[in-house]
Amino acid sequence: MKQAARDQERIEQFTPPEGVPVNFVITSLGARLGAQCLDLLLTCLAVVVFAVILAWSNLLPSETEKMVIVLLAFILRVPYYILSELVWNGRTPGKRIVGVRVINVNGRRLTPHQVTARNLMKEVEFFTPLTMMFAAPFMSGWSIGLTLVWVLTILIAPLANRRRQRLGDMVAGTLVVDNPRTTLLPDLAVSLAPAGATSVAAFDFHPDHLNVYGRYELQTLEDVLRSPADGINAAETARIARTIIRRTGYDGPVPPGQERAFLIAFYRAQREHLEKLRLFGTSRENKHHLATPPAAGAPGAGKA
Amino acid sequence: MSTAAANSTDTPARADAAIQGDLLRSARFRMEREQHWRRLDALVTRAEKQGAASLSYDDARDLAAEYRQAMNSLSVARDISLDRALLAYLESLCSRAYLVVYAPQETLAGLTRRLLLHGIPQAVRRSALPLFIGFLALALGAVAGYRLFMDDPGWFYTFVPPDLADQRTPDASAAWLRSTIYGNEHHDADGLTTFASFLFSHNTRIAILIFALGVFLSVPAFALTFYNGLVLGAFFGMFARRGLGFDLFAWLSIHGVTELAAIAIACAGGARLGLAILLPGLRTRREALRHQAHDAVKLVILAGLMLIVAAFIEGFLRQLVQAPAWRLAIGWGTGALWAAWLLFAGRPAKAAVKTPARPSP
Repeated sequence: MKQAARDQERIEQFTPPEGVPVNFVITSLGARLGAQCLDLLLTCLAVVVFAVILAWSNLLPSETEKMVIVLLAFILRVPYYILSELVWNGRTPGKRIVGVRVINVNGRRLTPHQVTARNLMKEVEFFTPLTMMFAAPFMSGWSIGLTLVWVLTILIAPLANRRRQRLGDMVAGTLVVDNPRTTLLPDLAVSLAPAGATSVAAFDFHPDHLNVYGRYELQTLEDVLRSPADGINAAETARIARTIIRRTGYDGPVPPGQERAFLIAFYRAQREHLEKLRLFGTSRENKHHLATPPAAGAPGAGKA
Repeated sequence: MSTAAANSTDTPARADAAIQGDLLRSARFRMEREQHWRRLDALVTRAEKQGAASLSYDDARDLAAEYRQAMNSLSVARDISLDRALLAYLESLCSRAYLVVYAPQETLAGLTRRLLLHGIPQAVRRSALPLFIGFLALALGAVAGYRLFMDDPGWFYTFVPPDLADQRTPDASAAWLRSTIYGNEHHDADGLTTFASFLFSHNTRIAILIFALGVFLSVPAFALTFYNGLVLGAFFGMFARRGLGFDLFAWLSIHGVTELAAIAIACAGGARLGLAILLPGLRTRREALRHQAHDAVKLVILAGLMLIVAAFIEGFLRQLVQAPAWRLAIGWGTGALWAAWLLFAGRPAKAAVKTPARPSP
């Protein structure tokens, strides 16, 4: 329950003019740190590779060479982040690899000003403390203390707010969210039915059998059935099937070796039943619905 | 659609119909719409990879139509379907499509043009008070640095970091100091261009720091700018004591007009942020910060631009141009061009005034 509440907290919801809210998952701090480190690594690598090529090709006089490299090292700091977020709409190469992106906090276009502001703050929040860390051995006591306070403030900021915004995000009004990934898995009720088409008919469920479980159990069963065939062994399947038979009071025969077919048939019947109930306004979250005030009686017979 | 085409697509559909009759309502719902979702998925993927500009007219029209349909599907599926795979797919597809439709990307060219022609000059004209604060900090620092140095040259070592002084200390002889102003390759052989680019990188970082620290009630921004003024004042005092005041003034002018103005402008950007916190007006502080940040960021971009120009002048022209008069002319001429751009560009309905977007160094 607590976990669910916390998950809910990490969702940012926008309602477009169509009136259907869409959800974005706020990125974890670990993923953001990973993206940042990747970007740092990429830029450092770019500078080094460029320097080696310059030195090796001997194209420019050493004076100019040094100047070019210093300039490059500068450009690959803040300007790199600003430009890459502008060009790829909120995704630096590091963010692309990790699969996160920056979006506007009001859900509309990410403006150039926001990109600039959040990355300028990066200088204060990330690069300067990083530089100071290397300089720490040469600093006096109180300046180390001051730096620590600074770093702590920066670290606490994203931990202290629901949207995990760092200071730069707050100034710019931006959010970092997981880039949604879309894969359409086959519909279990369709794809698995033909395989055991003959045996599906063999299992008959009475409405009473289907009144026990709710949405949560159904979707857990869906996860079990979707896990690759070798991921879950026959004994496990049989155990789950037995539990379901015990709980629901199903009294038909389940021949040994047919447990998976039984589960698929049960999934289909249970889903049909719950979806039908939902259409009539009764949504069952989980198996505890019987403990709470009695749900409206199931209208009509189930599939029977 | 021709009847032949309709028939050919219908025949397999009829074959499916028998199966479909047996399907769950939510599975039928999915089967009927899946084609459209996949089409939307393809369009969205393309828009994400190559930008929405790569879509043809038909594609863009389809995108809008399919997007609305997918949103409709999502709304229905949330109500009728318990298939988690379907819900997750629609949720993520709609989120991505939403971003493509409602949060498209800026083009870089249009953005730069807008920024140079209207954005920056207008932001500067709106920031009279912060700019005053920025230049005031610099000027006060310079005066204070000069007076303090004149009282006691020892202050020089307190103000000026050794790597910046580069052997130019109050103990150096007038001749040596003169040679640093009118230096040639044989004197400053060890990497003057490197030093210039280092200075640029250093200055830019300082400018960014000055800006970003402005959030803390603009005090650190003011202090840092003031400190920069102190260094300048002490430096000037050191040369002035040896009777090289005018020569240093010319030497500094050629790039300093641009560079110091950039520092002051960065400070003004920081001051805007600080003022938003101090005097939020009718807005909440966070709102005010967000509002003021618009102009503040433009000021910093301007500062960065000016620092780049300053670095070029410093790296190339300062060594080439040795006559003080020319140095003054170039320095203050650049300054006048900046002022003209910032004062006159992007004014509405004043077609007569057209200044070059950027002075060429």
